[in-house]
Amino acid sequence: MDRILIFVETKGNEIKKASLELLSEGRNLAQTGRFAVEAVVIGEVAPSVKEAISLYAEKVVHIVDPLLDTYAPEGYSLALADYARISQPRMILAGATHVGRDFLPRVAVLLECGIASDVTAANWLDEPVTLVRPVYGGKVLSEVVCEEAPFLVLTRPNTFDITGPGEKAGEVVERHASLPAGSVKTRMVRREEKPRGKVDLTEADIIITGGRGLKAPENFTVLEDFAAVIGGTVGATRSVVDAKWRDQEDQVGKSGKTVSPKLYIAAGVSGAIHHIMGMDTSKVVLAINKDPNAIIFNYATYGIVGDLFEVIPAMTAELKKRLGRA
Amino acid sequence: MNIVVLAKHVPDAEALIEIKGTGEKLEIEQKFAVSLFDEFALEEALKIRERLGGRVKVITLGTGKAIEVLRTGIAMGADEALLLDHEAFLGGDGYATALSLSRAIAKEACDIVLCGKQAVDDDRGEVGPMVAQFLGLPHVGSVVKVDIAEGRAMAESLVEDGRVIFEVPLPAILTTQKGLNEPRVPLVTGVMKAMKAQIPRATPEDLGLDPNQIGLAGSKVRIRRYLPPKKRSQVQFIAGDAPGAAAEAVRILIDVERVI
Amino acid sequence: MEFSLTEEQEFFKKTVTDTIDRMVVPKAREIDEKDEFPWELWRQFGKLGYLGLRYPEEVGGMNADPVTAMIFYEQIARGSVGFAQSVIMNILMGTYFIYRFGSDEIKARCLYPAIKGEKIGTMCFTEDQSGSDLSATRTTAVKEGGEWVINGTKMWITNGPIADMATVLATTDPKLGAKGLNFFLVEKGTPGFSAGQVLDKLGCRGTVTGELVFDNVRLPQENLLGEEVNKGTEYLGEILDEVRVMTGAMALGIAQAAFDEGLEYARKRVAFGKSIGSYQLIRAKFADMATDMEASRLMIYYSAWRIKEKLSSRKEAAMTKMFATETCLKVVDEVTRIWGANGFAREYDPQRHFRDARFLLYGGGTHEIIKDFLGRMIIGKS
Repeated sequence: MDRILIFVETKGNEIKKASLELLSEGRNLAQTGRFAVEAVVIGEVAPSVKEAISLYAEKVVHIVDPLLDTYAPEGYSLALADYARISQPRMILAGATHVGRDFLPRVAVLLECGIASDVTAANWLDEPVTLVRPVYGGKVLSEVVCEEAPFLVLTRPNTFDITGPGEKAGEVVERHASLPAGSVKTRMVRREEKPRGKVDLTEADIIITGGRGLKAPENFTVLEDFAAVIGGTVGATRSVVDAKWRDQEDQVGKSGKTVSPKLYIAAGVSGAIHHIMGMDTSKVVLAINKDPNAIIFNYATYGIVGDLFEVIPAMTAELKKRLGRA
Repeated sequence: MNIVVLAKHVPDAEALIEIKGTGEKLEIEQKFAVSLFDEFALEEALKIRERLGGRVKVITLGTGKAIEVLRTGIAMGADEALLLDHEAFLGGDGYATALSLSRAIAKEACDIVLCGKQAVDDDRGEVGPMVAQFLGLPHVGSVVKVDIAEGRAMAESLVEDGRVIFEVPLPAILTTQKGLNEPRVPLVTGVMKAMKAQIPRATPEDLGLDPNQIGLAGSKVRIRRYLPPKKRSQVQFIAGDAPGAAAEAVRILIDVERVI
Repeated sequence: MEFSLTEEQEFFKKTVTDTIDRMVVPKAREIDEKDEFPWELWRQFGKLGYLGLRYPEEVGGMNADPVTAMIFYEQIARGSVGFAQSVIMNILMGTYFIYRFGSDEIKARCLYPAIKGEKIGTMCFTEDQSGSDLSATRTTAVKEGGEWVINGTKMWITNGPIADMATVLATTDPKLGAKGLNFFLVEKGTPGFSAGQVLDKLGCRGTVTGELVFDNVRLPQENLLGEEVNKGTEYLGEILDEVRVMTGAMALGIAQAAFDEGLEYARKRVAFGKSIGSYQLIRAKFADMATDMEASRLMIYYSAWRIKEKLSSRKEAAMTKMFATETCLKVVDEVTRIWGANGFAREYDPQRHFRDARFLLYGGGTHEIIKDFLGRMIIGKS
């Protein structure tokens, strides 16, 4: 039986989405009888969260050490690599989040093994496991394999379905990393969270992006009202970010964020290729544009040729009715 | 301060890419550029030198036209350059590439290493942290602000929900993210200097590396084939005036596609 | 025959292309729409040092040979013709005779600041009654005591209304025709020198083009730019060919800008279920445009090479200017056709390239004159 370790990233009382997706995959794999799945958490993690995770895996290993109390790539990588040497997994999975992509490569060097970052599809039961990851900004997909164990896989958020938890809770154990003094030189000084409390673009299920068709920064309220009704996040194209109507953090595109929501709405967006490359893997795309020949329609599932200032508010009103929200 | 920049030679963002045969290889239009995020690294290195003095050295792994990355670095103001110029270096995964680059850096006395958070061709984002691990150095990823004083760096990482500020002693590695700075356009005097520059090259032997430790031969992850991205079928237009189309769109999204 | 650019020239081309893409291309539309001289861009550009392209390093220049210079002219015209015209005027025509014949004081006052972009220069030939026919120049220069007195009006002067200095073509005696021509330096602020009407042009908007009036402008002897009197036509011959090939390079730059727009459109625009680039007639257009542009490119760089090698280049330069211009006019026309109705919209760029290209018909000599000149050269005087 092969062992799989899943690094689970948590924030406060929440399990981060990409980790939840992997725990769901892990549950499915455990059910085949071919894999033993363990979840690994590192540093300060609330007991309630560990309990929640334990409903997905046969074991939750909580690695602790004073040097792990706040995130630092050196500490986290030493801790995970150390446990991997002991538990001898076939693969280690983690979400391709900022944290995942930041420290797992260091783990690969510590374990002298392979890593596939930003994977968007996986055939876990193949021999060897085949992983798909986008390259050239998503213009092409590459199928990669790693023949030797262990190997690390970082999966892009919104790649796998999240299933409900199981009924049986796995074991929760604590493990002391015993990191050598001076092995962690990086110190987290503080976090500055965006005051918005909205779902980040890379994790959002629903995104509505505005382009130059919005005509002025104030008009983004039309999109914000829409997003508020359905719990979506507002994105921006490069041209409106360059014009300083919206922040860099909101930019969807090759030099901004790459997103894969379930629903992507492009309002007043022409469809420049660098934008397309940032959202083309969205499951359903609805484009609204006055120009029937706008390039965005070539990349959309549904299209409305019309004035976004009429269509979006009309949709907002209709959604309020359907979803029973004021 | 001794500052090292790792910069990659990549196909231009607009270069056409075609999958050949049954996906064994790609045919890429021969238009190249410095990888976008590495430009921020280069610019930041020059800014640090302007503030604190020192030297900037740019290192690139590549053959043929890859030397243009180094010329661009020199044109912008870098003092030195080094090209890891040998076939054996090529085609590596993150691990093999990071191993080669870390050996080149190890030969320098350096205070800070800057590189882009990911290369815009392979999009792996592994080399920065891996080089740090090979060299036994701390690193901070996706940096959008850097302040250096008294042998320490305060670096702001751009994360999903905001920023995290780290303090790290030098030497350290920082990977750079968009928003850090605005890369400068080189002066003609820089361009002239770059045009005339004699750029040193390194072979695997110079770095004490065996050909089967590096490049394609030394890779732990192998690309088996390339695939085209999933093709979306042709768009379905929702007809009608604004209120009608809006209502129909909502119906489709909730009842048919179930995405709301 | 060595047809490639050197590795250094390739690097120069790449850097210039990138610089233009970052600094000029994003502003091109605004420069055209506002039709105002882009002072801020001019200042930034001046700091980069390209304005000294053709002059020696000792004076702050780049000492680029004609071939390397063509790379620059092509790219800047590709970026924005409105900006390019002003820059190129300053790089060559507007400063050459000052560099060639100016005293040390004149150079210090005029040339070095121009190279840094702190001053703007221009060259004045055209008048109301004379364009291609320089022998019909009516602006007069009369020696009175130790001074030269200039009288006349010049038209269609690029940078004219904003120029800090003008190299003015004037005749000592209209009856001498081409044998009476001279270049004089007139600086802004000289009594009698003023800017007249500014022209509202179809294209190359952004560049300030207009009338310059010389009303009893008195100049000291050193402002005669030349070793001898009445040698103007001969001196002009020193740069005439380069000016013509340079115009060809600009034509190619404009054609390239339009071509790239056409290409992107053909690849993305869908009609009847396919990208329009899949249709034979569209493909034929690209085949023709690319072939002509390739031929233009070869002529431009070959002629520049002849100038560099100091081989006779009068014929080649004239042919190049004509061929590259005719190619450009075809390309900008075809691209607006490929763009369909969108080629007619001010919102997109093809219409701007279409308008900009028209200046090529007279800049560097009209084609009617050039054909007559070439035909005469080939057949011989009969």
